[in-house]
Amino acid sequence: MASRCLTAIVLLAALLWLSPNAVAAAAVRMNFANDVVPVFTKAGCNAGECHAKAGMGQNGFRLSLLGFEPEEDYEHLVKESRGRRITMAAPDQSLLLLKASGTVPHGGGRKLPVDSTGYRVLRNWISQGMPFGGAADPKLAIISVTPAQGTLKKNSAQQLKISARYSDGSVRDVTHLALYEANDKAMATVSDGGRVAVSDLPGKVAIMVRYAGKVGVFNAAIPLGAPVGKMPPEKNFIDKFVFANLKQIGIPPSAGIDDSTFLRRVTLDIAGRLPTLKEAEAFRASTAKDKRDQWINTLLRSPDYADFFANKWTMLLKNRRDSASDITANFAFHSWVRDGLLANKPYNQMTRELLAATGTIMGNPPVAWYKRVKDPKNQIEDVAQLFLGVRMQCAQCHHHPFERWSQDDYYSFTAFFSRVGRKPTGIQGEDMIFHKRGTAEAANVKTGNKLRPAALGDAIPKIAPDDDPRLQLADWMSRKDNPFFAKALVNRYWKHFFKRGLIEPEDDIRDTNPPTNPELLAALEKHFIESGFDLKALVRVITQSSTYQLSAKPNAHNGVDRQNFSRFYPRRLQAEVLLDSIDQLTGATTVFADLPAGTRAVALPDNSYNRASPFLKVFGRPEAESVCECERAHSSSLAQILHLMNGSDIKAKLRTTKGRANQLAADKRANDQKIREMYLVAFARAPRQAELKVALDYLEATLSDANGNLVPKATAHRQKLEDLLWALMNTKEFLFNH
Amino acid sequence: MFFNTIKNHRLLSAAFAFGLAASAPGQSVILPAPRLLTTLPMGGKVGTTFEITISGDDLDGITGMHFSHPGITAKATAGKNKFAVTIAANVPTGIHEARVMARLGVSSCRAFTVGTRPEVTQKKPNQSLPQAMELSLNSICNGVMSTKAVDYYSFSARKGQRVVVECASRGIDSRMNAVLIIADAEGRDLKVDRLGGALDFTAPTDGEFIIKVHELTYKGGAHYFYRLVLSGVATGAPMPRHPTARTVSSFSWRSVFEQDVSVSEEVEPNNQFSAAQKISLPCQIDGRFFPAADVDTFEFTAKQGEEWWVEVVSERLGLPTDPFVLVQHVDGKGQATDVAELNDIAPPIKPSSGGYSYDGPPYNAGSADVLGKLAIKKDGLHRLQVRDLFGGTRSIPSHRYRLIIRKAQPDFTLVAWALHMNLRNGDRAALSKPVSLRKGRTMAFEVLAVRRDGFNGAIELDIEGLPAGMSGHGFRIQKGKTRGILIISAADNAPRALATAKIFGRGVIGGEPVRRPCELASMRWPSKSHNSDIPAPRLFADLPVSVGGSEPAPITIRAAEEKIWEATVGGKLTIPLRLIRRGDFSGSTIQLKAFGVGFEKCSVEAGLKTDKHDAVLDLAAMKLPAGEHTIAFYGRAVSKYAPPTQSGKPAKKKDIVDIVVSEPITIRVLPAAKK
Repeated sequence: MASRCLTAIVLLAALLWLSPNAVAAAAVRMNFANDVVPVFTKAGCNAGECHAKAGMGQNGFRLSLLGFEPEEDYEHLVKESRGRRITMAAPDQSLLLLKASGTVPHGGGRKLPVDSTGYRVLRNWISQGMPFGGAADPKLAIISVTPAQGTLKKNSAQQLKISARYSDGSVRDVTHLALYEANDKAMATVSDGGRVAVSDLPGKVAIMVRYAGKVGVFNAAIPLGAPVGKMPPEKNFIDKFVFANLKQIGIPPSAGIDDSTFLRRVTLDIAGRLPTLKEAEAFRASTAKDKRDQWINTLLRSPDYADFFANKWTMLLKNRRDSASDITANFAFHSWVRDGLLANKPYNQMTRELLAATGTIMGNPPVAWYKRVKDPKNQIEDVAQLFLGVRMQCAQCHHHPFERWSQDDYYSFTAFFSRVGRKPTGIQGEDMIFHKRGTAEAANVKTGNKLRPAALGDAIPKIAPDDDPRLQLADWMSRKDNPFFAKALVNRYWKHFFKRGLIEPEDDIRDTNPPTNPELLAALEKHFIESGFDLKALVRVITQSSTYQLSAKPNAHNGVDRQNFSRFYPRRLQAEVLLDSIDQLTGATTVFADLPAGTRAVALPDNSYNRASPFLKVFGRPEAESVCECERAHSSSLAQILHLMNGSDIKAKLRTTKGRANQLAADKRANDQKIREMYLVAFARAPRQAELKVALDYLEATLSDANGNLVPKATAHRQKLEDLLWALMNTKEFLFNH
Repeated sequence: MFFNTIKNHRLLSAAFAFGLAASAPGQSVILPAPRLLTTLPMGGKVGTTFEITISGDDLDGITGMHFSHPGITAKATAGKNKFAVTIAANVPTGIHEARVMARLGVSSCRAFTVGTRPEVTQKKPNQSLPQAMELSLNSICNGVMSTKAVDYYSFSARKGQRVVVECASRGIDSRMNAVLIIADAEGRDLKVDRLGGALDFTAPTDGEFIIKVHELTYKGGAHYFYRLVLSGVATGAPMPRHPTARTVSSFSWRSVFEQDVSVSEEVEPNNQFSAAQKISLPCQIDGRFFPAADVDTFEFTAKQGEEWWVEVVSERLGLPTDPFVLVQHVDGKGQATDVAELNDIAPPIKPSSGGYSYDGPPYNAGSADVLGKLAIKKDGLHRLQVRDLFGGTRSIPSHRYRLIIRKAQPDFTLVAWALHMNLRNGDRAALSKPVSLRKGRTMAFEVLAVRRDGFNGAIELDIEGLPAGMSGHGFRIQKGKTRGILIISAADNAPRALATAKIFGRGVIGGEPVRRPCELASMRWPSKSHNSDIPAPRLFADLPVSVGGSEPAPITIRAAEEKIWEATVGGKLTIPLRLIRRGDFSGSTIQLKAFGVGFEKCSVEAGLKTDKHDAVLDLAAMKLPAGEHTIAFYGRAVSKYAPPTQSGKPAKKKDIVDIVVSEPITIRVLPAAKK
């Protein structure tokens, strides 16, 4: 007995000496949720790929994901398998510690070395008799991050301190038990102990801190500190906030662009096509002071704008053809989106018509969305991600690890779609959709509690059985104080024009993933709401800004800038736009199955045309399977390069009888005029002197065939024109919007 | 009542499917029948004569073109399938039916629109902007859409001038889902309609505007025709609309029932209970489901024990609406308690679901409209809400309704269609079935009743106006049931003839005999597979009936003797059947079921290689009571059919499956002799 007491005293003394946290823990009776679960989380034991794997956990030992269910974890740990994981009489011999410390083989490796704080916490807890804790024990209230924000020099570091405040007012330092993650890992990394190391990339980076289901954030600004000099003129509020940020972090913006670059850039971005030769000539010749603004308005009035953005939205709304009989529904749905954009139907109205659609597809095409997305859970997940920028998927099964959303939040949101009635139609797979009278509610699958509709983090007036809850949801989304709806849209559109959202990814808006320029995001949101959710007005204000009209060419300082918009970030043309642009340049026509000749790739109603088009596939046209823009491949690949250089379809376009090369070959104009036309179509600019000389020399040189025989002049001329078009097509200037 | 009907129908369907094997690959469905599928133009102006060109299937040997209105006449002109059509000045505007009398008899009908405006026919090519065909305001252009094409038209308007452009297609039997676009002179889209509606356009400038027309999925061909209507309309005037053919569901709405109660208008705002519109019963109220999510609330007092019938008409007017009625009792404290939720008019028999297995005809005689009983449970104030379950987000002023609340006026409405057969893999043989009988053929119609206001009596079915050599027999719709059968037979020697017949039903309501007309439904065009071509039935204006005269039926089934067959209650009756075969058949037997009250479970297998077969009826099992009964046997046979050729050289025979129905046989069941 004396020996055991002595051992205990020695152990206690050792623990007291080893860890200040353990001191606090040892002095009072430990609590499983407060003291033990965070150790598992920090060590990764309850990660999805380890013992919290869906189903049976890992090798028979199951923990709840990130410790969200301490009661279940306690059961599994202490009582399951006749308690074989714990040896109270000899804590160090507990299977739990032997495995965690790697003393005996452990598939997950050595997670808690014997001398680690986590090991000692678990050992102490076992020594105390594995208390779970009582109802009166303090509960974790919040965590705070110190400092919450800061300005860090390039290549410097900052130690964070994480404090956990409990319901009894007590505070613990949990820095070493918290989890850290930077939203831009190229800008900052964080050690397990909370030390933030920033790189030499200027801008803003956020470090998300998680502890026991609570989240906090550290916002760091990393100035470049370069001399800024004179800023471009502020054309609207966008410039005000972008330039203020650039001044603050010391990044000088690039120069403004010339008319040709503007014309090509904005036409590609709004209409999804190159400017025509006629448009390029006219724009260059115009002396109107507001000709850029006029051109933006012209583009916004054009059906090309509607086609291009309908392509974007229908892909996100999963307008997918799985069987031949989907064709009518898909065309109808695509047309509904396209016509709404053409008529500039307010965004909140379009969303409302989609969410609360009723009737038949032919009578009311947004009903087609209910054909594609049938399960209410999928409906709310898509709605949340696409229209609110909130990813709710995690909360279906457990509390969202990065967010405040619980399972109750998830199923309360699902309840908005609980009164969607369906009647059969004569068309297989298609239902008539109607509001089924009754009380809207959805059951939390875990607790069984029936939940009434509730918006995300917001109250909703009681919904009468007669009222369609989806209309209430649409009302909530359209509210001026809705924290998600307008923000998600302006961020999505900002990304469309600037390659990068103010929040990235654009559909993951949360407190722990802050915008790089919060003032700008707020101003865009305000402008959009006050405009009456006017999409064209949003596009107009973005493209009219000096920020949008900055050069893509970096200056001496801003080459490292990737998020402050001090220059235009060039991006490869998306698959459809590139295909259309090649057609425009070569004068060829891509024929799509059962569509009129001349149908542009950006006007295709669904994904079915990808199957027959290697080009669209290679360049990453999505299959409309996801509401995430990430489904579209923006990256470049060797296959793309080879396709452009050697693809049989590309060769055919260059050689087509009605194509530009053939027509120019028969054209009596001088070669410099022909070269000028090709440059104007490809780049919306005239060739530079050096370019002109190279091209002229090439056109005027003789051409020999494989046997060394001279190719007849007319044939050679046509072939050389094809070669020139091919060369222009394969330049980065052509392949990118810049 | 409804479920019994469904059950019986399922039994029937199951028996049908069991007894008659699915058609084998390579078989065609239904013996050739003349089908008029297109006319160009698709209508004309009253008081004019113009040439039309027709096309269709099996239209050889045309001897005349006919219309549902006698004021429209046609004479053949030079050129194949061309006629000079004259529309007399007294012909009412709207949709009429056109058909031709071909070698095989009368064709299926095609909608033919009579209007008051000048009409032109599309001049091709007009598939590009420079080729746009110029149209005048207040005119109609009859066009045919080409595959993968957009048709271009142009018109001139002054700034501020209102022009309504409509493209009629589905409503006039076209297969085209029309897309209508108004663009500027450069062809840039300004306004689009894809829902079969009209574009209400106000010209932003003086000048030329472009109309683009195309099929939603860029399908085209002769069956994708349209009538493009341009109307200059005064500001504030209602939008003129092209007439459309009636939906099948509309047969159950007959406004003649309600003539004794005046119609009042709904008065907005009445969305909230606090602003409920006060009404007294009975009533008829015209209202609109407008704007989006509109709720019209009415308030009335009623006494416990009162019974009212509530009907809402909207979908049956051809509108894409789904009316719903909620009635609540309101107590002294303002507390509302549900009294009744009234929803769709259930189909009298379940329509085909379009799946693999046959589970109903390709017609839906139900409606999204409301027809139901309101039983008042407590004295006092009641509130009635009308809303459109499809109207949550749509603000369409033309979505109107009529609400009728009345004391019971028991009655019935009838609709008939030619009996369809089930075939494999979604093939419902949803073909139009012109009533063009071969000599010796019997044809069956399903007749459905929507009963209203508690009418539960039997409905005797009959047909009149048949031409010489034809006879008809109706198998009554039994008390409480909704389905009956009517058959018509052409005698072996029936002469070539054409007449307009009428099917009707007789019942007894309140002790008084009544006679009600029966509407006819048929397919607008042949749909050979549900999977790729959704059947599109409609109501037709009349029922042309003919005997072609050129071909006999491949098989005729009748009793060996023309007499009344007698038997005793509980006994057995043997009826020797004659199977008059006029050609070869695939298979050696034909499985026969029976039409006729009491004979539903009757099953007979007859040989296709012999001319005679005894049908033995077990009257005890059928529990057939004493009295006179009629039975007709039906089944399905695959005949080896060869059409006549011009050269006289025999054509290759094709396996064609079709329904075979016997002539009616009368049975007199005598009471059992008293012991």
